[in-house]
Amino acid sequence: MLAAYLLVGGALFTLGLVGFVTRRNLIIMFLCTELMFQGIVINLVAFGRYPLDGQPTLDGQVFSLFLLAVAAAEAALGLALVVLLYRYKGTLDVGAWKLLRDE
Amino acid sequence: MASVLLIILLTLGGVGLYLAMPGGRLHAARAALILLIGAAAALVALVLPMAGAQAERIWFTLLALIGLLGALRMVTHRKPVYSALYFILVIIATSGLLILTQATFLAAALLIIYAGAILVTYLFVIMMAQQAGGSAPYDQRAREPFIGVVTGFILLAVLTLRLARGEELSLGTMAADSETTLGTVAQVGTHLLTQYVVGIEITGVVLLAAMVGAIAIARRRATADEGEVD
Repeated sequence: MLAAYLLVGGALFTLGLVGFVTRRNLIIMFLCTELMFQGIVINLVAFGRYPLDGQPTLDGQVFSLFLLAVAAAEAALGLALVVLLYRYKGTLDVGAWKLLRDE
Repeated sequence: MASVLLIILLTLGGVGLYLAMPGGRLHAARAALILLIGAAAALVALVLPMAGAQAERIWFTLLALIGLLGALRMVTHRKPVYSALYFILVIIATSGLLILTQATFLAAALLIIYAGAILVTYLFVIMMAQQAGGSAPYDQRAREPFIGVVTGFILLAVLTLRLARGEELSLGTMAADSETTLGTVAQVGTHLLTQYVVGIEITGVVLLAAMVGAIAIARRRATADEGEVD
């Protein structure tokens, strides 16, 4: 059962990664990081429920709660930044900000 | 046997994801659908022998398929609002999976915080930045979809092949005592406030810093003259 949960969590994480790399909309890129968080939550809880040795513990669920708090903080800060960037250029295209990259 | 099935599954999923990316040829959408259904069937064939009790197995397969297809539509949809709505579907499926592992409090918290609070914020920002008349040009075409899908394919192939090789991992302590619930509010709260008190404090500081930062960012006036560089 553990391997099945890990498979689903890994697939969700990978879909989020592919979306983050390929989409060009700033908001969708942030949404894809949240999708990666979902995969990680499934992994953590599955490892806590079906541990490789010993009894099931609550540590995975507690870690996931901390992850929820960090995700909320990240969403607030990231969306504030996205709104600021949108007000500068009037577009959500990440290509509009390619002058920021290191060359 | 499982490794061959895994490779077929990952290839089908990768090709389907590539064809479904925005900016591809439109008539390829049907082929992408067929390939993805094949990948889903292979996933069912792979997962079914691994799982434990009968009812849990059925629920797990159903929720995993809903979550993965929702995630796929979210990544590939051309309209950002629909992406956010499909992400809510993913959250519902995830919290169903958490209920299957008896993490009931965490499932409720995930549903309330993500679907109730974070996604509403996302929807507000999406609607505020909505382009007039249909989807924007940058939503019509993906950026380097082939390289992105290949990267994801390699990552997932390495992870799952490693996973399929270790039998002790898939068997593990599969028959964890399924009668004792682990994850009620009382248990999680006790664990959180006895063993992870320092973590709680640090989380409070992080949230405070994020709030102050968000207010500081939102108060800045955007000056238009800096924006005309390109």
